[in-house]
Amino acid sequence: MALKYFFVLLACAVVLYPLLWMVTMAFKPHPEWTTVAGLTWFPENPTLQNFEFIFFGRAEGLVVSLDRTIVGPLIASLVTSIMGTLVAVVCGTLSSYAVVRFGLAQSLPLSVLQLRLFPPLAVMIPVMVMWSFLGAVDTWWGLSLIYGIVTLPFAFWLMKTFFEEVPVEIEDAARVAGCSYWRVFYRITLPIVKPGLATCALFVFILNWSDYLLALLLTQRDWVTLPVYMATLTSAMGGQMYGMKAALGVIAAIPPVIFGLMIQKHLVRGLTFGALKQ
Amino acid sequence: MTDQTAPEISNNHANAGYWTRVARDGQKMGFWFVLPTLLLLVFIVVFPLLMQLYLSFTWWTPLEGIPWYQAWEVFNWGENYWYMVTDPRFWGALWRTVLIMIVAVPAQFFLGMALAYLFIDQFPGRKLFYSIMLTPMMIVPAVVGLMFFLLFQGTGPINDHLGLPPEFSCLTDVNRAMISVIIADIWQWTPLMFLILLAGMLGVPSDQLLAARLLGGSNWQNFFKIILPRMKTVIIIALVLRAVECFKIFDLVFIMTNGGPGVQTETISVFLYNQTFGELEWAYVATMGLSILIALSILAMKGLSYMAKK
Repeated sequence: MALKYFFVLLACAVVLYPLLWMVTMAFKPHPEWTTVAGLTWFPENPTLQNFEFIFFGRAEGLVVSLDRTIVGPLIASLVTSIMGTLVAVVCGTLSSYAVVRFGLAQSLPLSVLQLRLFPPLAVMIPVMVMWSFLGAVDTWWGLSLIYGIVTLPFAFWLMKTFFEEVPVEIEDAARVAGCSYWRVFYRITLPIVKPGLATCALFVFILNWSDYLLALLLTQRDWVTLPVYMATLTSAMGGQMYGMKAALGVIAAIPPVIFGLMIQKHLVRGLTFGALKQ
Repeated sequence: MTDQTAPEISNNHANAGYWTRVARDGQKMGFWFVLPTLLLLVFIVVFPLLMQLYLSFTWWTPLEGIPWYQAWEVFNWGENYWYMVTDPRFWGALWRTVLIMIVAVPAQFFLGMALAYLFIDQFPGRKLFYSIMLTPMMIVPAVVGLMFFLLFQGTGPINDHLGLPPEFSCLTDVNRAMISVIIADIWQWTPLMFLILLAGMLGVPSDQLLAARLLGGSNWQNFFKIILPRMKTVIIIALVLRAVECFKIFDLVFIMTNGGPGVQTETISVFLYNQTFGELEWAYVATMGLSILIALSILAMKGLSYMAKK
């Protein structure tokens, strides 16, 4: 038992070690960012200056300023992630219901799954040409659309498993009572899978929020998302702005961790496209 | 499941005409339900594939001064494909991607398996530790890249632990940079393996495990004789999932090393990105993208038919 605790604690330490360095970095003033003046695990002079700097573009005691604050990218990340989630969840829910209940488009599940097989960059050239042709580059709807498409497989397969768990007898009973198909779907089935729908939405939101590559390819300035902004935060100080980057990283990491822990029970199902349940 | 469709019910119902009509309505609604997804698929699969095939036979770049549909003016009879086959940078990137895959995925698997075995029984604090173990995979990959960049850069704590001078960064040396990237990938995705494998382990009927224990099986025996054989499907799912995702690796490498020093840590995705925006060789990127697509499709089909046989 003691051995078990030893290994568990060791694993937790390994997990927490890089996290701790970034999180404490976010609260450190400039001299403590590097180990040049000695390694400090916990900030000796804790400060909120890093956060102040990325939110307001300047901070007390710093001569440099930022022409773009975090506010724009934060809004861009929120808007595109939420809209992308909406596209994926609506399309995925409707089509998986049709596949499960009406036996339509039996090849759809596999062809949807195929979308996840390929590295996005292998298909990005035509997508970028199409997006610029449509005027969708660097717009909220262009990014939301591609987010919706790449996370559709998860939404589809997740909702498929939730619909398969709804007993068909309930729907039949409603149908016998004279409900139309739409009414059965909207008034009976959908409320039953509501928790599943919420899980699915949170899960897809995490995936969209975590994206870096697509935003890097399809945005330039106005709709740059949080991870892209974080990576391109230029050094105006002559050195790398480690503290500010760490602060940004902390902000970007918080929502998915919270949502992820909220849907912990369904993570296995989501990540394995419904192949496994916990 | 899908075999419980409406028409079946109509068979054992007296008012068959009514039910056929309802079933037809259902199909009609189902059609509208499927339509948006179908349109999206056509939009993102059929059209781009054709365009990619077309562009891959030309010299076209966005600097060419002609729109993409006039790319036939710079048609080059598949020279891109020949160039790709003889491009050492392409094969280097491909090899490194496979290398990361064959080191990181098994490491994640064994670590995940060991961790899952630790968590199979209840113990005080299990829930808390479980949540901690899951955090890495929920963190944005780009942020993980940043975290490990901060750790491994010249003035970071790793150098301090190893007693190396700040000028000697782990990320500017080829071998160390590769190892750093692999460590970051293992850190982030071992929890995924752990999660899936634990779910599989808990799916092993507990009475069988209990019986084996009561009969005096050692831990090793229980693991190899009882648990492992019953986890086959789960293990395959976990490995395939991770392998597919690992092949796409971009964020970590791009943020930690940006393919450097030189191009010596480029993975396939980073290489494609650099070709797209560094060299602006869009037609060449289309060629490579299409080739990767075809290769992966063949592999996936082979894999599926192999699994179907089993």
